Amino acid sequence: MNRLCNSMEPRVMDDDMLKLAVGEQGPREEAGQLAKQEGILFKDVLSLQLDFQNILRIDNLWQFENLRKLQLDNNLIERIEGLENLTHLVWLDLSFNNIEAIEGLDALVNLEDLSLFNNRITKIDSLDSLVKLQVLSLGNNQIGNMMNIIYLRRFKALRTLSLSGNPIAEAEDYKMFICAYLPDLVYLDFRRIDDHMKELAEMKHQYSIDELKHRENLIQARLEDEQARREELEEHKAAFVEHLNGSFLFDSMYAEDVEGSKLTCLPGVSELLEAYKDKFVIICLNIFEYGLKQQEKRKVELDTFNECIHEAIQENQEQGKHKIAKFEEKHLLSLSAIRDESELTKLEKKIVEYSGDITELFNVLMTLEMQLVEQLEETINMFERNIVDLVGLFIENVQSLMAQCRDLENHHHEKLLEISINTLEKIAKGEFDEDLPDDVRSLFVDKDTIVNAVGASHDIHLLKIDNREDELVTRINSWCTHLVDKIHKDEITRNHKRVKEINQYIDHMQNELDNLECSDLID
Amino acid sequence: MEVLKEKVEEEEAAEREEAAERAERGEKTLRPVEVRREEAPLTQEALRDLEKKLSEILVPGKISISTKDTIDILKLPVSYQTNTPKEEHLLQVADNFSRQYSDLCPDRVPLFLHPVNECGLPKFVSTTLRPTLMPYPELYNWESCAQFVSDFLSMVPLPDPLKPIVQQQEKAPAKKYAIKPPRDLSSKFEQEQEMKQQEQIKAEEERRLREEEERLLEAEKAKIDPLHGLRVHCWVLVLSGKREVPETFFIDPFTARSYSPQDDHFLGIESLWNHKNYWVNMQDCWNCCKDLVFDLGDPVRWEYLLLGTDKPHLSTTEEEDTGMNDDEDLDNLCKDDKDKSFDMPSSWVEQIDISPEAFETRCPNGKKVIQYKRAKLEKWAPYLNSNGLVCRLTTYEDAECTKTLEIKEWYQNREDMLERKQINKVTGLNIDYFKPGHPQALRVHSYKTMQPGMDRVMEFYETARVDGLIKREETPKTMTEYYQGRSDFLSYRHINFGPRVKKLVLNSAESNPRPVVKITEQFSRNPAKPADEDVAERVFLILDERIQLRYHCREDHITASKREFLRRTEVDSKGNKIIMTADMCVSFEVEPMEHTKKLLYQYEAMMQLKNEEKLSRHQAWESELEVLEILKLREEEEEAHTLTISIYDTKRNEKSKEYREAMERVMHEEHLRQVEAQLDYLAPFLAQLPPGEKLTRWQAVRLKDECLSDFKQRLIDKANLIQARFEKETQELQKKQQWYQENQVTLTTEDEDFYLSYCSQAMFRIRILEQRLNRHKELAPLKYLALEEKLYKDPRLVELLKVFA
Repeated sequence: MNRLCNSMEPRVMDDDMLKLAVGEQGPREEAGQLAKQEGILFKDVLSLQLDFQNILRIDNLWQFENLRKLQLDNNLIERIEGLENLTHLVWLDLSFNNIEAIEGLDALVNLEDLSLFNNRITKIDSLDSLVKLQVLSLGNNQIGNMMNIIYLRRFKALRTLSLSGNPIAEAEDYKMFICAYLPDLVYLDFRRIDDHMKELAEMKHQYSIDELKHRENLIQARLEDEQARREELEEHKAAFVEHLNGSFLFDSMYAEDVEGSKLTCLPGVSELLEAYKDKFVIICLNIFEYGLKQQEKRKVELDTFNECIHEAIQENQEQGKHKIAKFEEKHLLSLSAIRDESELTKLEKKIVEYSGDITELFNVLMTLEMQLVEQLEETINMFERNIVDLVGLFIENVQSLMAQCRDLENHHHEKLLEISINTLEKIAKGEFDEDLPDDVRSLFVDKDTIVNAVGASHDIHLLKIDNREDELVTRINSWCTHLVDKIHKDEITRNHKRVKEINQYIDHMQNELDNLECSDLID
Repeated sequence: MEVLKEKVEEEEAAEREEAAERAERGEKTLRPVEVRREEAPLTQEALRDLEKKLSEILVPGKISISTKDTIDILKLPVSYQTNTPKEEHLLQVADNFSRQYSDLCPDRVPLFLHPVNECGLPKFVSTTLRPTLMPYPELYNWESCAQFVSDFLSMVPLPDPLKPIVQQQEKAPAKKYAIKPPRDLSSKFEQEQEMKQQEQIKAEEERRLREEEERLLEAEKAKIDPLHGLRVHCWVLVLSGKREVPETFFIDPFTARSYSPQDDHFLGIESLWNHKNYWVNMQDCWNCCKDLVFDLGDPVRWEYLLLGTDKPHLSTTEEEDTGMNDDEDLDNLCKDDKDKSFDMPSSWVEQIDISPEAFETRCPNGKKVIQYKRAKLEKWAPYLNSNGLVCRLTTYEDAECTKTLEIKEWYQNREDMLERKQINKVTGLNIDYFKPGHPQALRVHSYKTMQPGMDRVMEFYETARVDGLIKREETPKTMTEYYQGRSDFLSYRHINFGPRVKKLVLNSAESNPRPVVKITEQFSRNPAKPADEDVAERVFLILDERIQLRYHCREDHITASKREFLRRTEVDSKGNKIIMTADMCVSFEVEPMEHTKKLLYQYEAMMQLKNEEKLSRHQAWESELEVLEILKLREEEEEAHTLTISIYDTKRNEKSKEYREAMERVMHEEHLRQVEAQLDYLAPFLAQLPPGEKLTRWQAVRLKDECLSDFKQRLIDKANLIQARFEKETQELQKKQQWYQENQVTLTTEDEDFYLSYCSQAMFRIRILEQRLNRHKELAPLKYLALEEKLYKDPRLVELLKVFA
């Protein structure tokens, strides 16, 4: 911390300064007395005014987490900093300071009104997170490039802007330009923009704005596209069958397979490979479709379960509320009766009666809760069984489909081996007359080499298939376990909360009675 | 309707005997029910029905049947008094048909084919129907049309429901108007039956006299109709098929109610007719009308009178059947063949014409009273009653209609939008219902007395009110208000009042409102706030200075936060005022929060609540004021009971009437002016010349000069006339003045007044005359020049005068 205390001029925002300001700006009169008596916590302060304090550096504000309005104008601030905790801030005044760049505002997502009037800012940027910005005051700064205006187009709520006193305001076209590029703006430099002006500006800059809009739309469309694709992939991932709706797996099999790719140039292999790929992709697609279907089924299962649970809880809550409402009705009467009762024996009797009522209410509520717990447990177990079955079935079927893939691979392997051996024989006999690349020809030196090469390719393929299968099975199993765990945990949390709630309520009731008793006895 | 006019009485008598025999044999008889068949364009049919009835009602009205002589037959159109050759032919055909029918079905009741009309002329039933399209949309659908017909007709029971037969036997020239169902023909057997039943009735009556209680009980239960199966009614039958009529049904023209053919009240159908044809039912009605097939194209089930007219569901067996008929009736073969191409003659009755007034008046004289068992229904035409009353239903406790139970009144066109009034005479509860548009958005007002502060419920059209009030219930000690759609989510406010403090200083009734003891307010959930901060109910116990808050329940909780503030102004040991202590706010929080523990928070919350309490009390006071205001307004409205008149109703709406008349006057004047403009100023002079000849130049010049000199003379005459009148007035005035000066002393004040008013009037007249004269003098030369110019340009003279010039 940079504590410069040597001169009168710059000051540090320390606790004393803040306390003083909070105290001065706090409630008045009776409320003020109370406030003094109790002290005000910084986190309860909603508005803070720190102008003309010669502050050099923003600091020590981290406790003001609920601050809505902060005034730091007419100080010596050079950097915007230390505002990270003030996420509820709506109104920020930093005018008449020495700020050179806009920064450190990323956390202020609720900010609506920002004043940076009379600073040394040259560029408008770093305001991206201020999506609710309505009023922006940047007058008397050093902004010189008109293109800064285009940056402001992203603030859909921006209605008021002041930029006078900047170099750009000197430009002949200044007003027109802003009106044209920020059509939703209502006030510019503290003046309302009239419709005529808007029309003129629009006409003047129509061409370039249209172009800009077109570009913006393109970017927007691309973003949306990407978003859609991402979502689709997420969906597939949720079904555990991502990338199975095409030749992705097949391609990956050959991606690291050097020998396999080499062998494709043998006669007849490319056709064979083509056919193999076709069949393989069809099976992949089958897995994919089946996966999506199963995912849908699991979703429906889960939804039905959730709905059922929700309904049961709701109904139970209604019952509980009803019991409490009935009790409270009686409770009011009992309390007033106890208050009015003067005879000690009767009073005691009434108190006993009333505390009996409280106990009974407790029992009733707890019984309800126990019932619900039992009911839910049963349902949850049933759901668990069902979902495990579903997952099991899915795995089983996927495994059988994967086995088909392996069969295809085996078949392909045999065929390839056959062709390779034939080729080897031909080469050995010197009958092979086609040209082969040298690295391929080098495989055909003897039988072992070629068999090994083909085998290695085969192994890689099988490994890939196995990996994909393993991945799928592992992921769905862990999903299933997590889901079930979460449901159990949620139920336990719910139960704890409810029991705590009931106890709390009963305690409160009992306390109330005790207090009454005490006061009565004292009386 | 007429009774049958039978040519061959003997035949009929025989028939009746046979019918009697058959009945005695205990056969299932065809219950004679005459039903007029109605085809899809039912509006027209019903209107025909209406017209027919109208033609009968208009003259006799509600007066009894004996007033038939009041019909001025001579004023009826010729078609009422004579039969066209075609109609005669049709009657012959009908007779022939009737003969064949009685031959073939001797045991059935004679057909109702050609009753005599008001001029004593037999007319075939089908020709009494004339489809007419009316300009009233209400008459396009059967429900409203039937309702209109039933309103328009007044039911006059026949002296004897089965009597018409006797008349027929007496051969009285059929001039009897039975407008209504209980009408028609039956057999001697039936009369005997009737006699027996009459005896039974008498016996029953005796019994009744003996046991009053039993009689009441009897009356309570559905009595067995002594004339069961003997009545012959005329009903409207609507066949399914056209105009989206899904099922065949009957309409009772007197009650406008519809009945299914399955209804037990319909014992059978004798015949059907519409404006095109006549069908006789050949089906067995042992199971009432339940098994009847309404396929009129099926000649086995429905024997038609005329061939070749519209037959909706003509089936293939039709040809065969006709052939059989021909075989049986050889001598009529040729005739039948001819009949095939014979069309129903066009109707002889006049087109029905309902004036808008008559249509609006609906009932005869605009008023109708229908007596039901223990109830009376009265109907009036709109605007007939000055308070807008159009309908009143009175229900009684006893059959004699002496002890009123409840009165329901319907209103129309009331300016205060009152629609219905319900007065319960037993509980004394009045309920007024309003249509949207009352100045205070009142919807329902139920009360026992108009006195303020008593039991009362007012419901409102909440969307028309700024405060969204739906309902306000009052008892002497409470007021409950229900709200909807408010921005502060208030849904309910209940106010308990204490006993009114008696003040000796009585400023006015309003300045002494009842003291508010307790205010309970409930709010709906405000989704913008967390449940723990969203108040569900707050109770201001004003005397205790206690405020109770109950918050909304969180979604997953069963308990809700509560808070109770107890304001106590106390002083601590040092004599300082205690602003806030922890025991002044008791809270129960579902999720204990830190900031609410602060005294400052509690203090601010309490201060705010105090303010809101003031506001709520003010609201309560305003509500009370509003009730007073509404009551006052209601009383004024009841007093004035103004009716609104649509601006489209040019007959009633005075303003639009005046406007229309003014417009007409303007049009008329415009027309006159145009006619004047077209006046030929040369005509009188041209008339002097021989017609058809071409004008010579000399003649033209003379014509022009004559015309001009004539005009000049007229201008001078006019000037002289004005001058003369002016002088006369002036002289008279001078005379009067002279007379006044001479007799001034002796004049009474009255005479003096008279003189003065005369003077001012005379002066006025003189001034006007003077002005006119001056104007005339100014305009006369201009007018003269204008005419000259016009004459120069006149197409008849222009050639000749040009040459001359």
